[in-house]
Amino acid sequence: MIRLLVIGGFLGAGKTTLVNRLLARADRRIAVLVNDFGSVAVDAALITAADATSMTLANGCVCCSIGDDFGAALESVAERRPELVVVEASGIADPWRIAQLALIEPGFELGPLVVLADAEALPRLLADGAIADILRGQLGFADIVVLTKTDIAGATLTESRALVHAIRPQAQVIETRDGDVALEALDFAVPHARARFLAEASHPFRTWTWRDRRPFDRGALRALLASLPAAVLRIKGFCGLDDDAGDWLLQYAAERWAFTRAEAVAERALVVIGTEAMDKAALEADFAAALRR
Amino acid sequence: MRAMTATRVYRARRVVTMDATQPEATHVAVRDGRILGAGGPELLGFYHGAVEDGRFADKVMLPGFVEGHSHAAEGMVWHHPYLGYFDRMAPDGGIAPGVTTLADALARLRALEAELPEGEPLLVWGFDPIYHEGPRLHRRDLDAISATRPIVVSHASGHIINVSSVVLERTGFSADSNLDGLLRDENGLTGELMGPPAMQRATRVAGGGGLMQRIDREGLRAFSRQAARVGITTATDLQRKLDAETVDMMRRVTAEADFPMRLVAALGAREYGVADGVARTNELLGTGSDKLHFGIVKLTLDGSIQGFTGRLRWPGYHNGAPNGMWYIAPSELEGIVEAYLRTGAQIHIHTNGDEASETAIDALENVLARCPRPEHRTTLQHCQMADAAQFRRMAGLGMAANLFANHIYYWGEQHAALTAGPVRAPRMNAAATARREGVPVAIHSDAPVTPLGPLFSMWCVVNRLTSRGRVFGAGERLTAMEALHAVTLGPAWTLKLDHAIGSIAPGKFADLVVLEEDPFLVPAERLREIGVHATVLGGEVCHW
Repeated sequence: MIRLLVIGGFLGAGKTTLVNRLLARADRRIAVLVNDFGSVAVDAALITAADATSMTLANGCVCCSIGDDFGAALESVAERRPELVVVEASGIADPWRIAQLALIEPGFELGPLVVLADAEALPRLLADGAIADILRGQLGFADIVVLTKTDIAGATLTESRALVHAIRPQAQVIETRDGDVALEALDFAVPHARARFLAEASHPFRTWTWRDRRPFDRGALRALLASLPAAVLRIKGFCGLDDDAGDWLLQYAAERWAFTRAEAVAERALVVIGTEAMDKAALEADFAAALRR
Repeated sequence: MRAMTATRVYRARRVVTMDATQPEATHVAVRDGRILGAGGPELLGFYHGAVEDGRFADKVMLPGFVEGHSHAAEGMVWHHPYLGYFDRMAPDGGIAPGVTTLADALARLRALEAELPEGEPLLVWGFDPIYHEGPRLHRRDLDAISATRPIVVSHASGHIINVSSVVLERTGFSADSNLDGLLRDENGLTGELMGPPAMQRATRVAGGGGLMQRIDREGLRAFSRQAARVGITTATDLQRKLDAETVDMMRRVTAEADFPMRLVAALGAREYGVADGVARTNELLGTGSDKLHFGIVKLTLDGSIQGFTGRLRWPGYHNGAPNGMWYIAPSELEGIVEAYLRTGAQIHIHTNGDEASETAIDALENVLARCPRPEHRTTLQHCQMADAAQFRRMAGLGMAANLFANHIYYWGEQHAALTAGPVRAPRMNAAATARREGVPVAIHSDAPVTPLGPLFSMWCVVNRLTSRGRVFGAGERLTAMEALHAVTLGPAWTLKLDHAIGSIAPGKFADLVVLEEDPFLVPAERLREIGVHATVLGGEVCHW
C-alpha cells in the first residue's frame, strides 16, 4: 500500500513552499501531485526528465499534474511505485473530498489530512463572508494543522490558535515560521512502546490495535463506525464480515469509511489511531460487542 | 475592368433586419458572401447582373442566430443514447423522444442493451428524474436489464450518475462503505453516485471512455448540424483546452466548404496555469478566419445553482444547503482578469450565483481603475441572480450579461422550491431589468446542458413559463423584438463580432435564418414552435 498525504489550506498558507521543501530534502521516493504544475520551484539542475504533465528529479522523486481526473492521476502515479504520494490540494478545494479518494483507490492508504493556515491572515480570512465557509470546511476535517508565518503574526497568533481549536479541537497543531516542517512531523507520530517515559506530549497521537480473527456483524460494525467518538481519527486493517469467508480491508477517516475486498491476508487486525482523548477500554468493549454472534 | 462576381437577391415574404436604417425589407442582396443591402424589388436594379432567388419567397428572413454560450460537447454526447425527459433533436434531425416515467426509461434501456455488441458498456445521458414520480432509479433496475454489462446513466445536471452492480463491484465501493457521494438505502448502496471522485472512478472502471471525450471532427460536425437546424449561423464553444491538436482540427473542419456555421472557440482558463494561458491566448489572437474566431477567454468562478455549487449572497440557498464552491478564489480573480485583459483578449466570466457576480464586478472595477481598456466588453455568463444594482454597476463598467433564459423553463420550479426560493426565483435571469439599466443582453442554452434553440430561448424570455406552466417574473418578460436582439446583435456584441454578424446590414456577412412563420405575428406562446426552414451562411444556402 502506498501512503497518501493530502496537504490542503487556503491560498497563501504556504502549501507550495512546504511541498517544495519536502521535495528538495526527500530521502524517500516521493511523488507529488499538484494542480498548478508551474508553481513547483525545483532547481532545474535537479530535474532529470520532464514533459507537459510530469517531471522526474535526480533524488528519485516525481512531480505530476493532477489534470481532470484525480483518480486517474493517482492510478498513473502508482505505476511509478513511489514510497509516498503527497497531494497538494488547490487553495479553494476541499482537501477532505480528495482524501476520501485514497479510501477507495486500490493500493493507497490515507495518512493524516494536513491543513495549513496563515497565522497572520487567518482571523481576517475567517471574517470574510465570501470565503469563511471554504476555510472552515478545509480545517474541519484536519488531523494536523500547520500554522505558518508565526514570526509575522504578532498578536494574531493567539487568536489564530484559538480559532483553529474552536473549529477542529482534535487536530494536532504545529507552528512554523516559514513552512520548514520535516516530513516525519506530518504523520501520525505515536509514542514508541519503549519510549513511554520520554516526553509523550510531543506525540499527540495514540494508537490501539484490535486483534481478533472472528468476523464482525455487518450491521453492528457499521453502527459502531457511524458513532465513533471524535477522538478516533483513523482505522486501517483487515477484518471478516458475517459469514463471508474472505477478508475485507477497512479504512476509516472522519466519519467516512470504505470496505474493499482483500486477498492473501496474513493477519486480521484493525489499527486505530486517535488523539490523547481516545478511550481504549471503551473501544475494546464496543468492538467486542460488534462481533458476529 | 474588374470581373464582377455574381450578385444574388433573396426574396422573402418579410425580412426583419435588426438594422435601424432599414428595419424591414422583402429583398436581401448578397455578393462575395456579404450583404450589399436590404430593401424592396428595386435592389435588383441597383446591381448589374443581379439575379433574383425566389425560393424563400413565402418565408420570413432574419439575421442568422448567434448562440453566445454553448459547448461543442453537444456534438459529442450524441455518440451515446439520450434518456432525457424532454424530446430532443438529434444531429441527424430526428427527434430523440423523451422518457416521462421510470418505466419508460427502463424499457428504453432494455431495448438499447439488446442492440449493443457483447462487451461494450451501455452509457446513456440526459436522465432527469426530477420529473419522474415514484421511486428513484436503483441498481436493481439496471441489473435486471443486464447482470453482466456495465450500465452508466448520466443525469441531465451532470452532477449525478446511476450505475449497475457490476460497475459498483469494479469500483470496489462495497455496500458497507460510507463515503461522500455514495447514496444508500437500508439495503446498501443504491448505485446513485454524486460528485466527481466517485463518478469519475465509476465511469473509468465501466470502460468506454465516458461521455466527455476530446472533441473530434465528427463531434464538431454534429454540433454544427445541430446549430444549423435551429437557425444558428454563429455558435460558441465556450470553454476549451485549445491545444495544437484541437486548434488544427478546428481550422481544418471549419474550412470545409459545407461546414454550416462560424465557430467562436473560447480558451478555457481553468485548463491552464495563468502564465501558460496568457501565452496561449497571445499565440491564438488574430489567427482565426472568417469561420473561426479566437480571442475570448472563459473564466469559471462558481458552480451551478441547481447543483448547489453556485455562490449565493444572503440569505443563501432556500433549503438551507451550504453555500457553493469557488473555482477561482475571489482574491485571485483580479490578478487573473488583469493578466488576460492585458493580452487584448475579451473575458467571459461564468457567474451563476449573485455572490459570484458581485465578486466578478468588484474585480473588474479594480482592474479597470489601473488598467483601462476601452471596449473590453467583459461579459458575465449566466449571471442568473443579478439584481438591478448589480446591473447598474455592470452598465457603468461597460460589461454585458448573457443570461441563462432556458433555466426559467427547465429549472424554474426547482429554483422556487429549493435553491433561490419562491421570492427570488421569479427574479432570476432578469432580462428586462438588465436592459432597463443599460446592460447589453444576450440569452443562451449552454448546450448540452439544455438543447440549442434560439427560438426556444426567445420563447423563454418572452413568456417566462416554467415546465409546470407558471409565469415567473411577468415584469421581466421581453418583447419579441427585444428577444430577437438577445439572440442576434446582443450576443454578437458580447463576442465583439457585431461589426460582422447579428444584423442584415451592408458589409456584414450574409448569414441569414429562414423561418416558416413570422415570430412577430404568431402568438407569443407559439414562438418555440416556429419551424426553421433553412440557414444561409456567407450568402450560400446550407444543407444539413
